[in-house]
Amino acid sequence: MTDRTTLDDFLDRRVWLVTGKGGVGRTVLAAACALYAARQGKRVVLTELGDVAERQSPLARIFGRDLLPEGENPMPIVDGIDGHGFGHGRLLGVRLLALTGQEQYLRTVLPSRALVRAVLASEALRRLAVAGPSLRELGIFYQLLSLVRSRRPDGSPEHELIVADMPATGHTLSLTGLPERLLHLIRSGPIHDQLIEGQSYLNDPAKTAGFTVTLPETLPISECLDLIAGLEETRVPVGAVLVNRVPVDPFTSAERAALTPLLTASTRPGATCFRRYPQSHAELARLRQSLPSTPIFEIPELLGIEGQSDRGLVERLSQLLGSREDRRPMATLSPSPLTAALSPMASPALLAPCT
Amino acid sequence: MTQKPHESDLLCGPVGQLIQNQRIIVCCGAGGVGKTTTSAALALAGARAKRRVLVLTIDPSKRLAETLGVSQNPPAPVPLSEERLAAARIRPPGHLDAWLLSPQQVADAAVNRLSSSPEERARFLQNRIYQQVSQMLAGMHEYTAMEALHRLLAEGRYDLVILDTPPSRNALDFLEAPGRLASLLDQRIFRALLPKKGGLLSRAASKIAQKGLSAALGEQFAEEFIAFMATFSSIFHFLNQDLKEMRAFLSGPDAAFLLVTSPARASLEEGFYFQSRAQELRLPFKGFILNRSSIRADDAEAEDAARLARLTMTPELESGLKKLDALAQAERAQARRDVEVLQELRRRAGDRGFALSVPDFAHEGSDMELLIASAQALCGAGQTTSQR
Repeated sequence: MTDRTTLDDFLDRRVWLVTGKGGVGRTVLAAACALYAARQGKRVVLTELGDVAERQSPLARIFGRDLLPEGENPMPIVDGIDGHGFGHGRLLGVRLLALTGQEQYLRTVLPSRALVRAVLASEALRRLAVAGPSLRELGIFYQLLSLVRSRRPDGSPEHELIVADMPATGHTLSLTGLPERLLHLIRSGPIHDQLIEGQSYLNDPAKTAGFTVTLPETLPISECLDLIAGLEETRVPVGAVLVNRVPVDPFTSAERAALTPLLTASTRPGATCFRRYPQSHAELARLRQSLPSTPIFEIPELLGIEGQSDRGLVERLSQLLGSREDRRPMATLSPSPLTAALSPMASPALLAPCT
Repeated sequence: MTQKPHESDLLCGPVGQLIQNQRIIVCCGAGGVGKTTTSAALALAGARAKRRVLVLTIDPSKRLAETLGVSQNPPAPVPLSEERLAAARIRPPGHLDAWLLSPQQVADAAVNRLSSSPEERARFLQNRIYQQVSQMLAGMHEYTAMEALHRLLAEGRYDLVILDTPPSRNALDFLEAPGRLASLLDQRIFRALLPKKGGLLSRAASKIAQKGLSAALGEQFAEEFIAFMATFSSIFHFLNQDLKEMRAFLSGPDAAFLLVTSPARASLEEGFYFQSRAQELRLPFKGFILNRSSIRADDAEAEDAARLARLTMTPELESGLKKLDALAQAERAQARRDVEVLQELRRRAGDRGFALSVPDFAHEGSDMELLIASAQALCGAGQTTSQR
């Protein structure tokens, strides 16, 4: 199964949680996944977990803005994807904010609008909502849940797929562990019911897929395995591992043998790269061995992306994501040992950002 | 992989000065830039320079623990094993401890120390919200780092403490999260939720707030929540005071802030933003460390020619060398771009700050070798060449 699985096999899920430690290209890949799904005809919302104090986010920067749109309703973040050659596909974006979710939630549980207004007007309660135990996570959780369950008049989901660029490992697990942790404390009542409903989506492999992004290097692979264990502990269905920036060895084995005496322990330019291929190969083997039944997608390192915009990078990656893992789309690619394929670079976006 | 340094090599350069003179070095940076490794390398360099050093981290990942050979979440700092001290060439009085903090343990210790009565302590420790406080209270990781630092410095067991700030998307979280936690102690929250005194009006207002809270959270959780808040405020009332003291210390002459970044644009932008915020907060920002750079001091041309001369030319070697040339060119191009980045960092750092680069050692040898190489790159003579 693993060598035939593609991203297309996850298009019928409702939520993709894109996880991974910092620096592995998680954010750019989350954007590429969302773009891919939109091109496949899905109504997609790309989200990230925001914080009121933030002034800019790397995800938003890809789309030429400081922050993703705020509020209950996701907004278009790129021109040219809504009804322009993508069938029914659509790509919207929204920043999940505790306050938005808390407000949505309060409107459903408090008996009167006046009371909601009174609560929101209270500086003390606002501070409590920001800092109180788990209240911030609950707000974000509720907003995510609202996106998942919002329906069109014909009963179909308003947003077919929500792609979330998740935060650093610790924060991700504290969020995915939230329902379990709180259900332990809260045995009944409105929060209890929301958490149970949330779990019915987030813990169901038919509805949610967790994607873990990593690099073919020792520490990132070890941390990826830790993260996957953590996700499983919090009952998030692990969909696939996305191994980013996999270098493609240009040397034949005969060339490699001939060069080895020259390059062993050498500091010559190119030597580090030369030694890197077998290492990433070994790390990939270790990953496959540790996760025998998890699909592993290799994303080749891209060459000649210096100076290309993030938006352009996301574009190319989304094309790569559609190909099967057993046939590498190498025609346009050649190995670039040094180019960090996914290192974000600021320059004008290919598609004009919406205003 | 690198030439053996003389003892004096370890002390030249701006970072060498810092590890000799400061009492705290705070390593900040966005996630994934190699902050933890840099912290450990700085600590190693400090201990090699004969100081008693502690490296303090709240990183939930196991990597530093594995590298230094210490267990996770011990109740107190753990010394490096003899074997590892020897491997790192650390000699007395130089000393290196590592502590991978568990926020819950630090919180427990604070509760034990600060509760006014055994009953209060028991009540708090049994509160189910408290039992998961490190998971449930945002800012708890950052706060516990500050709290532990505060205590360790008061004890005076260490000459130098290197703090690896908790992982987060924003380098600034370390500075701002504890304040958010302290805002829980805002008197207005308590007046709204738990009025002990006050007139009919304020009691009526708190009735409404409590009612709202039970409607929102459910009665049972609301009760637990209010109980938690009440005890939290009575035990942690000093939080604001502590934070003020810590801020004052961190602004003083004994502390230094370093920003670790990778050459990636996003990481650089984050670094610049951090620098400006640190300056606004009057924190002693000292410099940038450009991690995983492709800038190398030596090209080893001579050594290379000698080795090549000993090999017999074959078609494989020839085609291999051609491909290697392409790699080398890409590597040099990357190095040129990184030099530009480094220059930009130097401009931003200004006259009183510094910026230096550390090569990517990720593919070189064991973890301890990686740390030693990084320590040398940070403090050693290599920096003077790249600093022209």
